[in-house]
Amino acid sequence: MTFLVTAALAIALLVVLPVAAHLLRRGRAREREFPPAALVSPAPPVARQRSRIEDRSLLAARCLVLLGLAVLGAMPLVRCSRLSLSREGGASVALAIVLDDSASMRVAMDGGISRWSRATAAARALLRSCREGDAVAIVLAGQPARLALAATTDLSAARAALETVPVTDRPTDLANAVRLARSALAELPHVDQRVLLLSDLAGEDLPAGSPPPWVPLPELARPAADCGVVRADRRGSRVTAEVACSSREAAKERQLEVVTASTPLTGAGAEPAPSGVPLRPRTGTILGAAAVAEQAGTQTVVVDLSSPLAHLDARLTGSDAESHDDEAPVTPERAATAIGVLTDPTSATAVTGGPPILEQALDALETRAIVKPLTLLPDEAATLAGLSALILDDPSGIGPEAREALGSWLDRGGVALALLGSSIGRAALGATLAPFVTESTTWTETTATGIDPTTATFLGPEAGGLAELAPKGRVALAGSVPNGARLLARWDDGAPFLYERDLGRGLVVTAALPASPAQSDFALRPGFLALLAYVMDEAVRRRGERVTVAGNPWTFYGEGAVRVTPPTGAPFDVLPERDRVGGSRAIHVPSERGRYVVARGSEVEARIVTVAAEEITRPPRDPARLSAGLRAGGVMERVDISREAALMVLFFFAAELMIRAATRWRERKRSAAL
Amino acid sequence: MAPVTPSTDLRGALDWGRLAPLRLRARTVAAGVYAGGHRSRRRGSGVEFGGHRDYVLGDDLRRLDHRAFLRHGRLLVREFETETDRTLRLVVDASRSMAYRSPSAPGAKLAFAALVAAALARIALSSGDPVGLDWVGGERRRPLPALAGREAFERIVSALEVVEPSGDLTVDHQAVSRAIAPIARHASRGSVVVFLSDLVDLPEDAAERIAALATKGRTVIAARVLDPAEAEFPFAGPVRLRASEGSKVIETDASAARSTYLAALEQQGQRWQERLLPRGGALVTTVTTTDPVEVVRAILSAVRGLRP
Repeated sequence: MTFLVTAALAIALLVVLPVAAHLLRRGRAREREFPPAALVSPAPPVARQRSRIEDRSLLAARCLVLLGLAVLGAMPLVRCSRLSLSREGGASVALAIVLDDSASMRVAMDGGISRWSRATAAARALLRSCREGDAVAIVLAGQPARLALAATTDLSAARAALETVPVTDRPTDLANAVRLARSALAELPHVDQRVLLLSDLAGEDLPAGSPPPWVPLPELARPAADCGVVRADRRGSRVTAEVACSSREAAKERQLEVVTASTPLTGAGAEPAPSGVPLRPRTGTILGAAAVAEQAGTQTVVVDLSSPLAHLDARLTGSDAESHDDEAPVTPERAATAIGVLTDPTSATAVTGGPPILEQALDALETRAIVKPLTLLPDEAATLAGLSALILDDPSGIGPEAREALGSWLDRGGVALALLGSSIGRAALGATLAPFVTESTTWTETTATGIDPTTATFLGPEAGGLAELAPKGRVALAGSVPNGARLLARWDDGAPFLYERDLGRGLVVTAALPASPAQSDFALRPGFLALLAYVMDEAVRRRGERVTVAGNPWTFYGEGAVRVTPPTGAPFDVLPERDRVGGSRAIHVPSERGRYVVARGSEVEARIVTVAAEEITRPPRDPARLSAGLRAGGVMERVDISREAALMVLFFFAAELMIRAATRWRERKRSAAL
Repeated sequence: MAPVTPSTDLRGALDWGRLAPLRLRARTVAAGVYAGGHRSRRRGSGVEFGGHRDYVLGDDLRRLDHRAFLRHGRLLVREFETETDRTLRLVVDASRSMAYRSPSAPGAKLAFAALVAAALARIALSSGDPVGLDWVGGERRRPLPALAGREAFERIVSALEVVEPSGDLTVDHQAVSRAIAPIARHASRGSVVVFLSDLVDLPEDAAERIAALATKGRTVIAARVLDPAEAEFPFAGPVRLRASEGSKVIETDASAARSTYLAALEQQGQRWQERLLPRGGALVTTVTTTDPVEVVRAILSAVRGLRP
């Protein structure tokens, strides 16, 4: 602080002068001679009171003028903390504002204001400092990173776009957001380009490049104590919940309660509403509770229910920096992804024992899917409705009723995989392998040793392991491949090994080997797991996963609009679009956690959107640990308010003059009235 | 009593303001009064019946009252007013409060009172009536016995010009008595006594004593001279008012105290009226901003209205 600044601030001490003068004036009015003073009645208290009231505005104006002068004089020191763009040479600036709208931005900071509110306020302040010629782009860093506003010089459009952006429950996709911001600025002619990062930095490392991002609000990266329910699944009378905590302190003395839901699920994933248990909004009836371990990170909490109800919520007791994630809907058992497996335990079991090798392989995928062993292929479509995928291992044939039920199920988006084997020769009368093969086929011996990995690239690196399968035979598919089918893999002798074809909204995949280790090593290879994963992905993609993380898209294949009812807000329609191969599909990206209802024609299903555990457990990154180059953002945190201070001084000076003039006018008017 | 410091308390011995010079102004005022009514005054006052006396050798036989001779059996001669004493006795208050002059006043109260007194003296002397001058308070004051003739006006004016306002009547309770004692002793029947004062800080019995002069056919007029500030009380907001005489200081809210002050002022004048009227006296209230001609006329009208 320089001497001049100190001296200027010392002007503020002069504020005692008008105060002292005022007090003196209050205490003793000006004395004047008046011969008949004896005829005047004394009234000192009233006089002093009037003096105090009449002079108050004048005193305030004079004090404020002095304080304003002090601030104005010390202006090199005194600055406000408003965000503003600094300019070099007055040139226009191209600015990309990366606004983190992920779930972690909901955390409340000191003072109760959320990170998101602070970030948007800073963005507004920056936009106010922009001037004509500046270009602004807005990028949202919630997964997937997306462009909320392409670079534009229309600042009013930027302000309007900023007001429409809500915070979401998406995971953080900071690195891609920064890349997107740079690409948004790349085509602009502005020399001065900047990327502004308004985030808690709870994400992956920022990519190197130019322009370097500038983090003007380090307070957003201050750690906060938060616990949240990531997801909860009910199996029978037990609820298994995944609870994430940012710190041990956040998990202290907290419990997980399972209560009746205020908004029950409806649709295909829902179960009948319970009777006798009242549904109370927000509060609900507590059906079970369990303590949360005092530890940071993700933990599994199991709650045994006192009553096996379907419409439940899991919630945490206590409070933390983010109450929004303290409650989550419990996924009903029927809403989970289920895979029906029809296999012969006697032939498809490993010599080491245990369940059939197909079920072991599905467990190894850790997909959270429920594996449902089937003894017979259901004859009714309603029985298949709860399944997302169906795997038939070495089927002998499919009867007419079952075939019809299977076709109806496939039309609605089911995915079926047939691992054909030697049993096809024992098909009953009227039973066929349609829709997996269209022509009759047979189990034959083969000289091929395995699959040509180059034809099975969709399996990734695991395809290499399928080159040596040591098959004892194979199903001859050469003449049975239906029209429109896509070959996914071939034997090393060129014969078809694996193909798929669309059927309605569903998918049919046919393989020429069974899972039985007695027939080949197919089920023992990693490529087999890759095939199952592919089928699972397709099942989820085509039927839609009932439980997804916010930010993951829902794809609805087929024609017709999809009506989505979010947890909050009004329902809306998602219209289908043409994809690259000529198909039609509608895509919606849910961004808010909670229960959704999706309606496609007469089909209504319930879906649950959760939040990623990393949004709670991943600590914010310290902005100070970023590389020094990131500080070259060209945004200054403080701004000179000399102009405002000068205007303030002028205003108060004018106010004093007006008050004095008004006082004199009143006195003259009073005298004239006499 | 603390000595008066002219430079601070009185703003000079006497603040004449626009009223100076006294001689010229007094003549002008007197001329204005003549133009308005001296004719009727001279005629009316000189032919009025004044009483009877015994006939002496040499009296005009036309004045013998025959009816009185028949009633009383002796010769009586009728006398008229023109033959009685019409001395004008001026009593001027020169206490310290008379030096007050507010910013809107043309001069101090004493200056205004002196102007009116000089004008009255001019008129009286022009009519051949002697004029005397007495003082209440004042420094360098020169009381004058009843004088007539050309030099009388000059002596009276000189006495009015040299006086300096002084004296605290709240302490000197005998000042009024001392001033009116010569009048009570020497003023003859028919004399006119004009008391020019602001009536401020006078003793409680001052009105009674002044009114007591109205005996033996004397006429007493109290001319109350007020400054515009005293008559209107134009102050606003909190004020501290210090009396010119005594040590009284009043702190008050001017707006709130105005009505009570004006009422008290009115009540004081009413009290003087009540004392003077039964004794054949009158009170004339004037402000220093009033035209002096009108003030003199008012005083003369009051005198005529009170004459028997």
